[in-house]
Amino acid sequence: MDRIYRVVIERCIACGKCELACAFAHGSEGRPSKTRINIFKRGPELGTPVVCFQCHDAACAAVCPTEALVRNGRTGAIEMARDRCISCRMCVAACPFGNMLWDETYHCVQKCDLCGGDPKCVPFCPTHALEYVPADRAAEKPEPFAWTGDLAP
Amino acid sequence: MITITVNGKNVKVPEGTRLLDAIRSAGFEVPTLCDHPALEPWGGCRMCLVDVTRKEWDGWCKMVVSCMFPAEDGLLVLTDTERVRSTRRVVIDLLLARCPDTPLVQQVAARHGLEQTTYEPNPAPTDCILCGLCTRVCDHIGVSAISSVNRGAGREIAPPLHEAPPDCIGCLACAEICPTSCIPYETSDAKRTIWGKEFEMVRCARCGRAHVTRDEAAHFSGRTGVPSTYFDLCDACKRTDMARQFVKLSEGAGTAP
Repeated sequence: MDRIYRVVIERCIACGKCELACAFAHGSEGRPSKTRINIFKRGPELGTPVVCFQCHDAACAAVCPTEALVRNGRTGAIEMARDRCISCRMCVAACPFGNMLWDETYHCVQKCDLCGGDPKCVPFCPTHALEYVPADRAAEKPEPFAWTGDLAP
Repeated sequence: MITITVNGKNVKVPEGTRLLDAIRSAGFEVPTLCDHPALEPWGGCRMCLVDVTRKEWDGWCKMVVSCMFPAEDGLLVLTDTERVRSTRRVVIDLLLARCPDTPLVQQVAARHGLEQTTYEPNPAPTDCILCGLCTRVCDHIGVSAISSVNRGAGREIAPPLHEAPPDCIGCLACAEICPTSCIPYETSDAKRTIWGKEFEMVRCARCGRAHVTRDEAAHFSGRTGVPSTYFDLCDACKRTDMARQFVKLSEGAGTAP
């Protein structure tokens, strides 16, 4: 695990680009309601993105009766093996943060898997509120975002 | 690693691999109806029949269900012989007689060149193909509320004594996994009904949305050791709480804009 997915809520302007990127990236017909990252508005142009923490001791993986939730050693993300999922929804009830999402369209559980090491939401975030940074930089205190006219790399 | 030969093609697989997985890793397709990656192999549908033989068997071969048969070193496997095809066709023919109106069975039959059953169709058609996925998934969750009852043509999936199953927690895993969607249920924010049992729903203390049944919450807390108050909030309200928590943390750190 050489990179960490970092959320800097101070920079989020609640534009919803990450939700759209997520919904498109995961075959949910681009409906933002099917996103795995959720922005909660806390004021005009201020948001708090909430996304799976990929917990170290994850309740979802512990409760899954079919071992459908397995950590990817490379990315550190807990990934859902859809073919092993039996749709019992125990993980949805077990996640203390509400980040396991039941998809009524496909009748299976959706969760953030960091897109296998290339999180699609990150390049769409215009203010770098979402970053995928080298692990040794993850604890650095975030600076307020200064607009330079460039979009995220 | 061991080596088996599937339709003339050699493939190396780890010892203990099921023959079905070994055949698929060699790139050949074997139809299945009762197999599921998360559940124990069951050998119920008999669709995955293949012929196996060995060099020293002088042409003699035997038919095995590949989902239950371990791959052995030096095994020669034939997945598409006339004997395999005709035996599989009999299995599908019987299934089509049992479930003449089921789209899944009709599709499988059509794929094997059967339009209509050659047997007398079931006078009381059912959609249940007796694949046992529902009973196995129920066992796997640790509930075992339903099982197959009776034998032969009268075999069916049912709760004990055809009464509302006392052990059922109303999780709907059986209905979700059913390949023909033939397990009826009703669910709303007020109550859920399946297998003739009615369940009270746990409604989110904040938004009122129902997310689990009362029995499911009891089962989950027994399984994981969390108190049943753990299920007071739905996932959406838990996320909202989390977002508020983040804001509090950043305010505490003096970084909130």
